[in-house]
Amino acid sequence: MGVLKGLKELLRGMGITGRHLGRHAVTIQYPEERWTMPERSRGVVVLLSDKETGELNCTGCALCEKACPTGAIDMDAPRGEDKKRVLTKFVVDNAICCFCGLCEEACNFCAIKMDTRYEMSVLDKKELVWDLFKLQEMGKDTAYEDTRKKKNPARVLKPGEKMPEAKPPEAKPEPAPVNPGENKPAAETPEAKPAEEPKKPEEPAGDDKKSESGGEN
Amino acid sequence: MGDNLGNLELAHVFYWLRDLLLATGLTEPWVTIVTYTALGAMMFGVLALLALFLVWWERKIGGHIQQRFGPMRTGWHGWYQTVMDALKLLQKEDVVVDKRDKFVFFWAPVVCFVAAFLAYVVMPFGNRLIVADLNIGILYIMAVTTFTVISLLMAGWGSNNKYALLGGLRSAAQVVSYEVPMVASILTVIVYAGSLSMVDIVEAQSGLFINWNIFRLPFGPIAFIVYIIAATAEANRTPFDIPEAEQELVAGFNIEYSGMKFAMFFLAEFVNMFTVSAIAVTLFFGGWNGVFLPSWLWFLLKTLGVVLLLMLFRWTYPRLRVDQLMEFAWKFLVPLAFANLILGSIMKYLGWYW
Repeated sequence: MGVLKGLKELLRGMGITGRHLGRHAVTIQYPEERWTMPERSRGVVVLLSDKETGELNCTGCALCEKACPTGAIDMDAPRGEDKKRVLTKFVVDNAICCFCGLCEEACNFCAIKMDTRYEMSVLDKKELVWDLFKLQEMGKDTAYEDTRKKKNPARVLKPGEKMPEAKPPEAKPEPAPVNPGENKPAAETPEAKPAEEPKKPEEPAGDDKKSESGGEN
Repeated sequence: MGDNLGNLELAHVFYWLRDLLLATGLTEPWVTIVTYTALGAMMFGVLALLALFLVWWERKIGGHIQQRFGPMRTGWHGWYQTVMDALKLLQKEDVVVDKRDKFVFFWAPVVCFVAAFLAYVVMPFGNRLIVADLNIGILYIMAVTTFTVISLLMAGWGSNNKYALLGGLRSAAQVVSYEVPMVASILTVIVYAGSLSMVDIVEAQSGLFINWNIFRLPFGPIAFIVYIIAATAEANRTPFDIPEAEQELVAGFNIEYSGMKFAMFFLAEFVNMFTVSAIAVTLFFGGWNGVFLPSWLWFLLKTLGVVLLLMLFRWTYPRLRVDQLMEFAWKFLVPLAFANLILGSIMKYLGWYW
């Protein structure tokens, strides 16, 4: 009777494949059809703009740059003549980016986000290096919830514009005596760091608040 | 074969062509040669198209069983994908092994291709739609379809490749083993039809479907099961596809073939599948018998149904090991087939059948 049992099982297998034959295919015909990616999926990095004014949300605090495990983010935001940060450089190299989303986690100002877009094949590797304006352009339509308590956007240095270098020499001697030792290891941006470093990196709000009030005065 | 012309539904075309040729002033032996060549070319064309369709169908079925689409790019649901594949294969460079056995290597695909088509000489496609109604029809089919194994052996030997040779030898062992239960199950049918002629076998099952051999309980279904298992093995299809087991032998006997020679093996494989299905329909499912629809359409539909069954086998069952394959043939199928034959013969003798 083992034969009959085997025959029954064979027929059962045929039934399973026959049932699957009737089901609809799960394939997406890729270039024509696309998935709508889930909201939390991590695609390309974009910079978000304010919903009303349209200017970048970025305050130039460089927390994302510090959070980035692969060093894909390269930014520079020294303080300008009125002690406000001027965003001179914000470059994301998508060839290095590992899409971990830590920059998004680190940002306190809803300025950087992983978009749901994931297609960025290019013919030249250099095209994967996205600058400030490209990142802003990509993030123009990205939906996000604006949870900022305080808005303190950095001024964006326009292409061709020179960084004003009037004030930084004045700001420099002030924080230097407080903690000169800690400045040295992370002295990537000589103009910006001295002003920023005395505060803990976890409290960029306070830092920016100070600079904001300074700007108003 | 000339005296069989009365049985042909193709006779109109045949006689029209014959008269046309006689009017041009051709003499008698040549007229016959040309008309039969035209008939053969017609069969060849139909079967080649059918093979292309079957390749496409197999890919679609396999895809949908795995919840894919299969070919989708060329035309509506990729309907001319296999035509494009065939054209591509025809254009490809014919890469050959340097140390091959030249004669054997060259003729292996030819023998395979020709052997695949030979069975259609006696295949009853419809009521009176048969090229030649030989009185030993089924015996002829059993004889010529086995040519395929010679071609596989030739391919294996000529390629000078260990995988190819293993594939060819496995194929020979397999076909020799499965030929025995296959013939025994066919004999059961022949006992009831009382004739080896394909037309007589079909006509013995005329009437309603209750007269089909598969419904001649209890031996009809058993004979069919034995036949379909053996036929799957004969056609080298998946539960028994050890001659070309991809995981073990890369591609088996056709590993060194490329371009058009490979296409010949490939199409012959699918023609073989259609052949065994057509024989199964003729022997067990009443051939062209059916109501309302034209006889050739009934034959085609039934055959495609059996082909679908073979395709379901392929996409459902895992491959047997070589020793399991042999054990299954000799220890299970052969005794079952002969027991069934004896049972059927006794019942026929006693008249316990309808």
